[in-house]
Amino acid sequence: MGKQYQIIVDVYEKIFRGIPELVLILFIYFGVGLGLGFPPFKHAFTAATFALGLRSGAHQSQIFRGAIRGIGEEQMMAARSLGLSRLQAIFRVMVPQTFIIATPGLGSEYSLLVKDSSYAFIIGVPDIMFWTNRVIATPPLDPVFPYFAAAFLYILLTFPLATYLDMWGSRKKKQLGLQEGEG
Amino acid sequence: MGEQKKEAVGTPGGRRIADIILECRNLWKIYGKIVAVKDVSLEVKEGDIKLIFGPSGSGKSTLARCLAMLTTPTKGDVFLMGECLTKPGVDLNKARAKIGFVFQHIWLFHHLSALGNIELGLRRVLKLPKNEAREQAIQALKEVKMEEWANHFPAQLSGGQQQRVGIARALAMSPEIIILDEPTSALDPELTGEVIDTLRDLAKKGTTMLVISHEMPFAREVADEMIFLDEGMIVERGQPELFFTKPSSERARRFMARLIKLTRRE
Ligand SMILES: Nc1ncnc2c1ncn2[C@@H]1O[C@H](COP(=O)(O)OP(=O)(O)O)[C@@H](O)[C@H]1O
Ligand SMILES: [Mg+2]
Repeated sequence: MGKQYQIIVDVYEKIFRGIPELVLILFIYFGVGLGLGFPPFKHAFTAATFALGLRSGAHQSQIFRGAIRGIGEEQMMAARSLGLSRLQAIFRVMVPQTFIIATPGLGSEYSLLVKDSSYAFIIGVPDIMFWTNRVIATPPLDPVFPYFAAAFLYILLTFPLATYLDMWGSRKKKQLGLQEGEG
Repeated sequence: MGEQKKEAVGTPGGRRIADIILECRNLWKIYGKIVAVKDVSLEVKEGDIKLIFGPSGSGKSTLARCLAMLTTPTKGDVFLMGECLTKPGVDLNKARAKIGFVFQHIWLFHHLSALGNIELGLRRVLKLPKNEAREQAIQALKEVKMEEWANHFPAQLSGGQQQRVGIARALAMSPEIIILDEPTSALDPELTGEVIDTLRDLAKKGTTMLVISHEMPFAREVADEMIFLDEGMIVERGQPELFFTKPSSERARRFMARLIKLTRRE
């Protein structure tokens, strides 16, 4: 990767890992969408999706960079020594290993993404939290059960898949002796 | 045209060009301020076993990688079967497929089984159909006595077993030459024997090889020529007996003395 891209990716990661998701959603919807009048972000769902994507992308970029560093130039050279083209080496050797190393991290990132999406109701996106609040508000209801149900739904959405990815990835990493790179 | 080309790359002395498998002429590799390889010329003929040795950092790996075009030389030319690889427009993937390479730190593909490691090149580079690739891969594993471990992943094998798979991976492509960069130096002493035995078998079969190694008994036994490299340069070259009895350069003499002392102590 060229140096200048490296810097761009670095800055992107640092910025979007540093901003709380809620601030990002409000900023993009109210600030960029309604304030500056950028048409796509006047739409609450689009604004929320974009805000979630920006933050998640920063995390995923970090996860994949660590994974690629763990594999290193050596595997590439070994592949090229057999006569594989650069593209073949990337798809047959680098990518499969990158995914295995990245999987446990991607599992937690997926959970985080689902959980962060719960902020979207604040700008009116009709998600689980939105409907929970609606149910509680009209007619006024004891909030214990609706919030409990919402929590249960989030667990249902995150726990099985995240746990499966984590277990599969960790087992595979151990079996194959793969590790993330430092730095 | 073909005749002319042969003449153009022919060596003086009238030796037939077809005999030379791999050759470099006035090869240099410079990393910033470091001159890793300095004006090296050598040729490996069919069936030859060349052994390169020298202190750590003397440029052995760099030279080997330049010969296999895994790194691009700064200056000078590399020829494979008379074809110049250092000019623009050469299909380097095709050339690399004909040069087997075994790495010091082995570098098997972690995510593939022993068999998968070998099949990759057979299928994707030589484009063999699935069953044929499998057959050849198993044959290669047999040659290094690893067929029983075909379905194990690299992490499940000992260092010596991994390196034998590494050799099989190179061998399976039916290369014109195999370059081995210190194939035993990363292994525990008790595991070097099995790899050296494998190399001995290859030598007996007449495999063309360029081996970087400090296994002196092995060198003495199989090498046609030994090349002593220091500070990127060929300091001395000749038949093994020359080095074991009376190396003419002071540097080679001292290095040999140290190696032999080390071997005795073990
Ligand atoms: N990729 C590289 N970048 C910069 N310097 C290198 C690189 N590879 C090797 N060198 C330098 O070139 C010299 C020769 O290294 P190498 O060929 O690995 O020696 P050897 O294999 O004989 O130990 C060393 O000084 C080493 O630091
Ligand atoms: Mg080396």
